[in-house]
Amino acid sequence: MLKIDDIHVYYGAIHAIKGISFQVNEGEIVALIGANGAGKSTILKTISGLMHPRSGSISFMGENITHTDAYKLLRHGLAHVPEGRRIFLQMSVQENLDMGAFTQKTVSKEDLDMVFQLFPRLKERRNQVAGTLSGGEQQMLAMSRALMSHPKLMMLDEPSMGLAPILVDQIFSIIQDLHKAGTTILLVEQNASKALKIADRAYVLETGNITLSGTGAELAKSDEVRKAYLGG
Amino acid sequence: MAVLQYLINGLSIGSIYAIIALGYTMVYGIAKMLNFAHGDVIMVGAYISYCVMIYLKMPPVAAILAAIVVCTVLGVLIEALAYRPLRGTSSLAVLITAIGVSYFLQNAAQLIWGVAQKTYSSVVAMESIHLFDGKLLITGEVIVTIITSAVVMVCLTLFTSKTRMGKAMRAVSEDRDAAQLMGINVNRTIAVTFAIGSALAAIAGVLLCSASPALKPTTGSMPGIRAFTAAVFGGIGSIPGAMLGGILLGVIEELCKGLISTQFSDAIVFGVLIVVLLVKPTGLMGKQVQEKV
Repeated sequence: MLKIDDIHVYYGAIHAIKGISFQVNEGEIVALIGANGAGKSTILKTISGLMHPRSGSISFMGENITHTDAYKLLRHGLAHVPEGRRIFLQMSVQENLDMGAFTQKTVSKEDLDMVFQLFPRLKERRNQVAGTLSGGEQQMLAMSRALMSHPKLMMLDEPSMGLAPILVDQIFSIIQDLHKAGTTILLVEQNASKALKIADRAYVLETGNITLSGTGAELAKSDEVRKAYLGG
Repeated sequence: MAVLQYLINGLSIGSIYAIIALGYTMVYGIAKMLNFAHGDVIMVGAYISYCVMIYLKMPPVAAILAAIVVCTVLGVLIEALAYRPLRGTSSLAVLITAIGVSYFLQNAAQLIWGVAQKTYSSVVAMESIHLFDGKLLITGEVIVTIITSAVVMVCLTLFTSKTRMGKAMRAVSEDRDAAQLMGINVNRTIAVTFAIGSALAAIAGVLLCSASPALKPTTGSMPGIRAFTAAVFGGIGSIPGAMLGGILLGVIEELCKGLISTQFSDAIVFGVLIVVLLVKPTGLMGKQVQEKV
């Protein structure tokens, strides 16, 4: 479904991603784990077209999207929930959802019902300005906003960042629900134990290179991963 | 009674500043740049409407529409030719380019229409109203200006709060990358913003020259700078801020001219701006949103 082939990404002179290849197959949950600064978010930004690789290629559903502008990709079915949620804080919850449905021309009632069923809290806060939501609610809104476009592949960047453990559990169970409902998931996480538990496959990223890959269960057992990311 | 007169005049000139300030603030909010050529688009609008009325002998309505169309096209062209190629470069480069575009427009106007001042004939045919035995004079221009700007502000507020494109503009203004991830074409949104801002500049040009009929290639500069000040005063990037800032600036200016001194009015107006920015650096209605982690 998504195929990344030997991409090199630079921030000016800094070589951030040093030739990474991996793929996500339809129906999978794939996790990218790694420490801060390993390049996880850069990879997602490069896939979604906010950045472009200097070399290498990216294809999605058989189409080459290496140099496609970010705003066109949502129409292909590729949604990106960025790090730090990046919801529109000065707009209402409803308006944020409207923006999520921007490519749909009109906001359908069924879609709203779908996200309000997943996240009933958002329905209560529908007309509230998004900046007044709690961190967990903001994450829910960011995910809902992405769902409004009916993505085939959803890329989630650190969905658990800064959330209370109970909310982390809730977010992860919703990710699994979305997956069961047919959405393919590419998950970037620092919370490696959680991510590996739900992932079909995972890749470990270290300073711009993939150092390990395998099924979620395999990696969770691997000594290197346990030492580095799972606290022994 | 004199004070009331100054207030009404201030409200009128302030409404014009507000319409111009809207152009500055929308472009700043969405493209994150100061379009210093905005004032000169006002001048072009005034010249176009002047020519349509004087040379083509068409009615004022046709003149206003022609000015709006020409300025809209001009605004979009300026953005596409001068600013878009610089997107992603240093903001200083864009700023200098904007100043260059400003001089370009002024010089082009000199070439086309000459340096000599032209006397603009007002588009307003309404009689002045005299109240309180002639102590209070409300000209037709004042009434038309205030009504027009009220309509403009209501329309713009509805546009940004209700329409798909208007909401997309607010989204781009708040977070350009996130807006792109929603499927919003940022380049197109910026072009639409320039189109709207320039159409407003055309209206402002017609109103401005109807109220004070001296038209020359530098006509747009000073109102442009005052309106820019108004936009900063109200909180640059904020649409209600530009409206409030424009009107306040106009009222303060007229009160200063009437009650204190004509020569010092600019100094006082800019002094007020400095005080406001010292107390509230984001301007009157500028927001500083705190991010939750």
